[in-house]
Amino acid sequence: MTKRQRADRRTGLLFLAPALLTLGAVTLYPAVSVFWLSLQYRIPIFGIARFAGLDHYAFLAADPRFLNAARVTLGFTAASVALELGVGLLAALLLRRQRAGRRAALSLLLLAWALPSVVTAKLFEWLYHPTAGLVNVVLGGHAFNWLGDPRLAVAGVILADVWRTMPFVALLCYARLLTISPELYEAARVDGAGGLAIFRRITFPLLRSVLLIALSFRTLDALRAFDLMFVLTGGGPANTTETLTVYAYRSLFQTLQLGLGSAIGVAVFALVMLVAWVYLGMLHREGTAA
Amino acid sequence: MLLIRIVLVLGCVLAAAACGDRSTGSAAVTLVFKHAKILGPSDPVPRLLREFEARNPGVRVRSESLPWSSDEQHQFYVVNLEGGNAGVDVLMLDVIWVPEFAQAGWLLDLTPFLEPSELDGHFPAAIEAARAHGRVWALPWFMNVGLLYYRKDLLDKYGLRPPETYAELIAQVRRIKSGERDPRLDGFLWQGKQYEGMVVNVLEGFWANDARVLGPSDTVFPEPERAEEVLAFLRALIEEGISPAWVTAADEELTRRPFQDGRAIFLRSWPYAMDLFGLPDSVVRGKVGIAPLPRHARGTRGVGSSGGAHLGVYRQTRHPEAAVALARFLASEVAERAMVEGAALSPSRMALYHDADLVRGHPSFPAIHTLAMAAQPRPVTPYYLMLSTVLQPELSAALVGIKTPRQAVAGARYQIRHLLQSVR
Repeated sequence: MTKRQRADRRTGLLFLAPALLTLGAVTLYPAVSVFWLSLQYRIPIFGIARFAGLDHYAFLAADPRFLNAARVTLGFTAASVALELGVGLLAALLLRRQRAGRRAALSLLLLAWALPSVVTAKLFEWLYHPTAGLVNVVLGGHAFNWLGDPRLAVAGVILADVWRTMPFVALLCYARLLTISPELYEAARVDGAGGLAIFRRITFPLLRSVLLIALSFRTLDALRAFDLMFVLTGGGPANTTETLTVYAYRSLFQTLQLGLGSAIGVAVFALVMLVAWVYLGMLHREGTAA
Repeated sequence: MLLIRIVLVLGCVLAAAACGDRSTGSAAVTLVFKHAKILGPSDPVPRLLREFEARNPGVRVRSESLPWSSDEQHQFYVVNLEGGNAGVDVLMLDVIWVPEFAQAGWLLDLTPFLEPSELDGHFPAAIEAARAHGRVWALPWFMNVGLLYYRKDLLDKYGLRPPETYAELIAQVRRIKSGERDPRLDGFLWQGKQYEGMVVNVLEGFWANDARVLGPSDTVFPEPERAEEVLAFLRALIEEGISPAWVTAADEELTRRPFQDGRAIFLRSWPYAMDLFGLPDSVVRGKVGIAPLPRHARGTRGVGSSGGAHLGVYRQTRHPEAAVALARFLASEVAERAMVEGAALSPSRMALYHDADLVRGHPSFPAIHTLAMAAQPRPVTPYYLMLSTVLQPELSAALVGIKTPRQAVAGARYQIRHLLQSVR
């Protein structure tokens, strides 16, 4: 390395320093301190503050409430992400074919996505109202007890989540669809390909990378789902909609078990990192394959 | 959760959206008063604070709004008080937080500042909720009590009187429903969603059957069969159609609306709903009566739970004298009267419920007074929130029928014992 290069390097680091320091201060420091907190018994109202080691993690491994929350989180994530991708893709394809009113349709999609999730939750609280709610009226006047029946509550929350975030997937796919050259389709049709074959051979392969990105974003978001169920059901009935973050929130801010709550937070963090790592690998492969 | 129905904060962001004025005066003492947004025709707080400043030269008060829901208010306090950087001198507290905050060392012991008989004018249940370890940690401000609303017109039509027992309530619902032949008319509405309000509903049921959650020296469910009976009863209300199945997802507002639309005979709720039932566009205007909650077969009497808000002083305030003076002023009869006139709230001072001027505007005040006199606070303990958090899923499971009452009580009992052991 020449003297000049070394000087450049130093200047570069100097310019990077503020960003690195900020990043360290706002992400690394809190993450480390949450992990440190998770190794302690810390319940301020009883003046309890002592080292716990891995006690909280051992407790969680056998805690039925934690296992239930993990099951709810994974089930919710799998179902809502799958539906969001499916419906979002379909919406994008329809949007692409639509001639009139495309702008209005896009605005409507954006609106659903732009609403704060607490507002969405309040909205769905009334939509799901068993006697006055629109959902039951549309379904033919059945008195489905959407949020109060343990067999339906998860489905109710998933539906609200799909309504809220499907537009995100739809818009991503739609943007990609606009960049596919029409000549490709013409060529395919000349070769005698049908609608399904065109989708399977042209549209879908070209959408793959965008779908993968949508899948990553949505999964990571869904694993941390909180506000929708917190407002809609409070985690009920009987904890059937209590996700890991809702459990963490209750432990941290309602019962002030800061150590236990932090341990749940760390567990969520580990889960999210694991999934993110898998997705990053997939994205990387997709990138090199393309 | 209970309080916000009356006292709502309209989406203010913590400190940024501080309500009230931002006086820049060079006053020697500046107090910060944190409170939930006061709903009603006109918020009397700013005027009261100016009056307090006029009476205490050199003291300025800045009022700041709390976030909109009770859960978020609790979270805000916990984060800021635990962090030791509270930026607050006088705090409005949900009544169930007082022992918790006192135990955490966040509240100033008010006992030395008070006259011996100073609290006597407040409801007994409110005073009980303000005390812990024989000391006073907060001053009562607003009072809330669980009660039974009934459709006076319907009961009169069938020659019925408000039910004293739940068996009577069921019989009346059956009688009226079969007479009215209206499929849209529900019987008895209450709050069964998995949240604090549901715990209140079930506790009231327990008390009406002489069952307790905590007995002497922290025994847990000293009368388990009586508690199980209540859970079985509540489940049966749903299964037999006395209450619609959706009560298991209902909070206060979700049950108030159908009742106000004339679609239910009975409703368990709080006093705030009465003002709304009297609104010009209310279907049930002038047709609603107030009664004590009924009792169960093995119970002595029906009891409404108390709720409401208290005023506390932050322990590390730099101006304890001035802060206590502000809390005392706000909880005084003059100030509480002003609150009733400007806001839709029930005061914690008993005398106001028989004040001729106030009763003219609030004809149900004497009736609410009687009920609030008999009200019972939820277990007054620093770990009440832990207790409630453990109870919520178990009670909910019994209400929706995925656990038997016996399983639910046993589950709650096991966890509460575990909890009590871990914090000792």
